[in-house]
Amino acid sequence: MTVAALSAAEAPPSTPTRVVSRRRAIRRFRLSLLAPLIALFAFVLMPVLLLQLYFSVHQWTVYLGSWWDADYVGLDLFKEVLTDPRFGWAVLRSLAFATGSTFGCFVFGFLLAYLMRKPFRGQALYYIIFILPMLTVPVVVAYTAEMMLYQSGPLNDLITRLSGIEFKPSWLANPDLALMTVGLLEIWNWTPFSFIIMLAGLTAIPKEPIEAAEILGASKWRIFWEVQVPLLRPVILLALVLRFLEAMAEFPKTWALFQGGPGSATETLPVYIFMTTWQYFEISKGAAMSYIVMLLMIVIVLFAIQLLRQEKRSLDKMYEQTDDKKVEA
Amino acid sequence: MAMTKSHRRRVTTVVRYVVLSVWALIAFFPIYWIISTSFKLDTQWFAWPPYYFPSPPTLANYMNVWFGAEEYAQTQYAISSQKPLISLYNSTVIAVTSTFLSVLFGSMIAYGVSRYRILSEARMFQLLMLRMIPPIVVVAPLSLYYTAIGLIDTRFGLILVYFLTTLPYAVWMTKSFIDEVPLEVEQAAEILGASRWRTVFEIVLPLVCSGLVATFLFILILTWSEYLLALIITKTQVTTLPIELSKYQGSTEGRVYGRQAALAVGITVPLMIVGLIIRKHLARGFSFGMVRR
Repeated sequence: MTVAALSAAEAPPSTPTRVVSRRRAIRRFRLSLLAPLIALFAFVLMPVLLLQLYFSVHQWTVYLGSWWDADYVGLDLFKEVLTDPRFGWAVLRSLAFATGSTFGCFVFGFLLAYLMRKPFRGQALYYIIFILPMLTVPVVVAYTAEMMLYQSGPLNDLITRLSGIEFKPSWLANPDLALMTVGLLEIWNWTPFSFIIMLAGLTAIPKEPIEAAEILGASKWRIFWEVQVPLLRPVILLALVLRFLEAMAEFPKTWALFQGGPGSATETLPVYIFMTTWQYFEISKGAAMSYIVMLLMIVIVLFAIQLLRQEKRSLDKMYEQTDDKKVEA
Repeated sequence: MAMTKSHRRRVTTVVRYVVLSVWALIAFFPIYWIISTSFKLDTQWFAWPPYYFPSPPTLANYMNVWFGAEEYAQTQYAISSQKPLISLYNSTVIAVTSTFLSVLFGSMIAYGVSRYRILSEARMFQLLMLRMIPPIVVVAPLSLYYTAIGLIDTRFGLILVYFLTTLPYAVWMTKSFIDEVPLEVEQAAEILGASRWRTVFEIVLPLVCSGLVATFLFILILTWSEYLLALIITKTQVTTLPIELSKYQGSTEGRVYGRQAALAVGITVPLMIVGLIIRKHLARGFSFGMVRR
């Protein structure tokens, strides 16, 4: 029910011309609320997307004079990108990085949120400490990692002292470890995100079903898997989907710490696109690559949005029902 | 029976404190490390075995990085320009302005969606695409477009992009606050003869003031720490703090950890203060109405 509809129904009977002018005024009002969004789309987003389309079918690099009379090459660039093994590896690295870090963030975030779902002494302090990693600038995370992770650095030293075993992996120089290092940083950086969302979800689920299950004598394990987890499904999905998408786009930490190296161990999609465009200056190849990645991401995002919408609808329905019950009681 | 139950409860309490404390250490140690490094003398930045405490603590890094004070720099690591202060100014102007625009227009759109359905539910979700598509896929054409229209390397150019990319968060978050304002208030205002615009700006938005502040601070976190777009759009005239910090990387003098740390602490502390102020609202900002409180 909107204000317009409500007050139109309650307004004193008026002449048709007044109704028409009122309707026109409302339309103008709605349009002017939307105007900034439309302007941004028309003057920033559209030109950029059109330019990107132009470059992905025209061969141009910065050495080739003015970009507006570059050669039309049709789909050649897309063919070039799709047959480029480096691109394939970048896709795989990105997917592995995003999946691994999403999973890590989720497991730790859920564990911490589950342990903190009921109030206890010191809860506020733990909460503050737990969200701090999220409130650091990504570039700062990269440089802090550099200060801590070199081979004779404080992290290895600390672990060696605490465990008594010589612990000396070279986090930054070993190509087999580098991508995992960024993944661990991502987990350190963004576990707070999963934690916050899961904690909000856990404290928001209604208590009645859990109490009912307890009365019926269900074990804690069964209550967890068969009552709490299903109730949390929308929140779990949200934490996973958003984290995965953000991890696919991760650039600052990877770039500031490794610039794609050692070798090409951390050459994820964003890094490879960045290098192609800004180091090899193959603008057109970069554009074609961007286009493919954009289409891939749009497919993933549309799928994710569909899932989220469904979950949100079922969630809204659930809360409507509980609200009704509260009103009745 | 009662004994074993209370016993078991004590065990779970201990386990909980142990697990939480271990994670608290993991979460806090890197932050401690960068803070302590920022107070260390240059001989201790890279020493073996590592110095876990700065001894004696020194302000030289801060004085040198932020104020270009060379008398505080003992060695060749002196940084004599005033660049970080200029970047601080740029960062503040860019982050605050773009965030303000985002919240102002975002809340107007949110009001329209909440009361007049100017965007359908499907459109609201499509709006999220602006946030979910990685920005790397548009930076190259954006940079060329900005060069063509003269916005490259300007504060306004960066403000405009941040405005666009944070708008989805602003709309979703302010909408969750506006939805809670009862319709009766607006109907009363309309009967008393207030115009639509007055209703928005003098009645609804003031009612959700604390929500708008929370949204503002939430988006400020995003714009303050943004890296990729700033790296592409700013070149020489305008740099933001994250870009300034990354310039210390791979400089010819070698590792200047203490200086980097002093700069990093200066960038991070405002962010942490802001984040801790709105810690209760963070879930709402990130969850697009999926989490109720």
